[in-house]
Amino acid sequence: MDVRIEGLSKSFGSNQVLKSLDMTFPERRFVTLLGPSGCGKTTLLRMIAGLERATAGAIYFGGNRVDHLSPGDRNIAMVFQSYALYPTMDVAQNIGYGLKVRGIPKADRAEKVGVVARVLEIGQLLARKPRALSGGQRQRVALGRAMVRKPDIFLMDEPLSNLDAKLRATMRGELKRFHLDLETTSIYVTHDQLEAMTMSDLVAVMDQGVVQQFATPEEVYDRPANLFVAGFIGSPPMNFAEAELGEAAGRPVLRIAGRALPVPPQFDLSGAPSRLTLGIRPQDVRLAAPEAPDAIPGTVWMTELIGSERLIEVEIAPRLRITAEVRSEIRAELNAPAAVAFDMAKLHLFDPGTGRALPRR
Amino acid sequence: MTPKALLGRVALYALLAAVTFLVCFPLVWAFFTSMKPKDEIFLWPPTLWPSTWTLENYRALLQGKDAYFQAGAAGGGQPPPSAFFLDWFLNSVIVTLGTTVISTLVSTLAAYSLTRFRFPGQRAVPYLALVGYMVPSIIFVFPMFLVMADLRLTDTLLSLILGYVCITLPFCMWLMWAFFRGVPIEIEEAALVDGASRLRVFWEIVLPTAWPGIVAAAIFTLIVSWNDYLFGRVFMNSMENLPLTVGVMHFFDGTHVDWGLMMASSVIMTVPMAILFMALQRHLVAGFGAGAVKG
Repeated sequence: MDVRIEGLSKSFGSNQVLKSLDMTFPERRFVTLLGPSGCGKTTLLRMIAGLERATAGAIYFGGNRVDHLSPGDRNIAMVFQSYALYPTMDVAQNIGYGLKVRGIPKADRAEKVGVVARVLEIGQLLARKPRALSGGQRQRVALGRAMVRKPDIFLMDEPLSNLDAKLRATMRGELKRFHLDLETTSIYVTHDQLEAMTMSDLVAVMDQGVVQQFATPEEVYDRPANLFVAGFIGSPPMNFAEAELGEAAGRPVLRIAGRALPVPPQFDLSGAPSRLTLGIRPQDVRLAAPEAPDAIPGTVWMTELIGSERLIEVEIAPRLRITAEVRSEIRAELNAPAAVAFDMAKLHLFDPGTGRALPRR
Repeated sequence: MTPKALLGRVALYALLAAVTFLVCFPLVWAFFTSMKPKDEIFLWPPTLWPSTWTLENYRALLQGKDAYFQAGAAGGGQPPPSAFFLDWFLNSVIVTLGTTVISTLVSTLAAYSLTRFRFPGQRAVPYLALVGYMVPSIIFVFPMFLVMADLRLTDTLLSLILGYVCITLPFCMWLMWAFFRGVPIEIEEAALVDGASRLRVFWEIVLPTAWPGIVAAAIFTLIVSWNDYLFGRVFMNSMENLPLTVGVMHFFDGTHVDWGLMMASSVIMTVPMAILFMALQRHLVAGFGAGAVKG
């Protein structure tokens, strides 16, 4: 069942959290709402769940308007960040509560709970109370409670953020697997871009109550729609530098730190301002010989080893530093001269006035 | 265990034993005194262990017969105070249960709405309630007596129930408010998503979770209304309407103190509360465990 929202707004007092959103979450896809805290992603999820009332706008599930329905009448399931297990009930009662409320007979209930518990491998925990469970086990119970009702929409609010790093990596894979098995429309809220990139079919990057870009993970990463998305997605973050649009030998060039780089052919420069913001990911920057034609010389400002790679920050102009991600064998002395070169095919250009990416041909 | 730790342990147990003795001795003394015949109570040197065991004090209380007052030493022709003992006991039970039910119910609902719904003054109410509880009840008792008199409720059990509710409700509400604040709202939201109605969520999810808090509030109310003397003394005047605490004061007059009856009454007053407390204290601890949410 697809989820469509139209002109959805939400204000808390004078604070506008969501600003007239229009989106469609396609059927059976895994969509992630990604953004920094306070961007409105959790509020949007809670409005889809019916836990929060919209200030304006409409929500449709498969063409039917649902804004007036209470959460229980929307046939959704939700996994909360805190798991929100019922503390006085044991695991079986926790999973079966939604069925009990819907008047499913006890025997059917036990059978369905048993099936879910087997899938989640928590069959031996059914008689335990939540307080006797580990974080990962609670997480599974919360998932089980959501799965057992065969919901139309599966909502998740940062379900992995309370787990340790190792368990989080395991659960990421399992969640994705569950989604594929359940074939349910899933909406997942997170501030962790790794979760968004690894699990989603579509990512909605949100900031300040607005969807900045709604696209596949590849597109969000390779073709960020604006400066916010470009800076938010990717680790380490993208390098930004001011550049002057000019001409040399009849061809457009970008002047940066005294160098003129040819503008890559993929950009449509008609209507572009004369000053641009150039973006390049550290992975697309290499160290170059200073005499190479595309090299931008500078001095090594800082180096950091991050495992198999090393980050080298080169200052190419006062207070303008470019980070290059290189293989860890490559070493650089602090304050030694160095030069960086960009993979021009991977270059991003933005209009600094609007923040939007320059159109591509 | 090192000698130092051993010494600390010994000192700790000695202190605990001393405190236990201080708390228990009056109770033990009252019990033994209630089991002694009248002439042994005043024996010098006193006996802790009764040399003759007797139930005559209890019999006198329950049958309403009392040698001294019966003889008419107190007043001509009136029934002796012990004749009212069962009335007093019943009065105290009715008043205590009534107060506890009303106070616990109202404070639970009030505290829940204070933590879950937004309205003006939402933050101020619990603190104001606590301030109200800090004012000594003797300040309230006379204005309240005038109100009760206006309502023609004086000398009725209802006046006592209302009085005790006024005294206990603010603190109970504050207690439950603090408790509900610790109950994560996500649990209720999860139940709403599971399809339960608001009322069902309150009944099946919130109340069981809040049970320890409710028990604590109920015990507090029970103790206050069972032990109160002031309100009973001021609001009530007919012998048959007194609560136990005020009633037993009739076991002495200007010339005579019937310690046997006093102590037997004390034991009868203490036993129900002690049993209740032992039965309920388990609930105070059980269920307090975390685990619903991250923990």
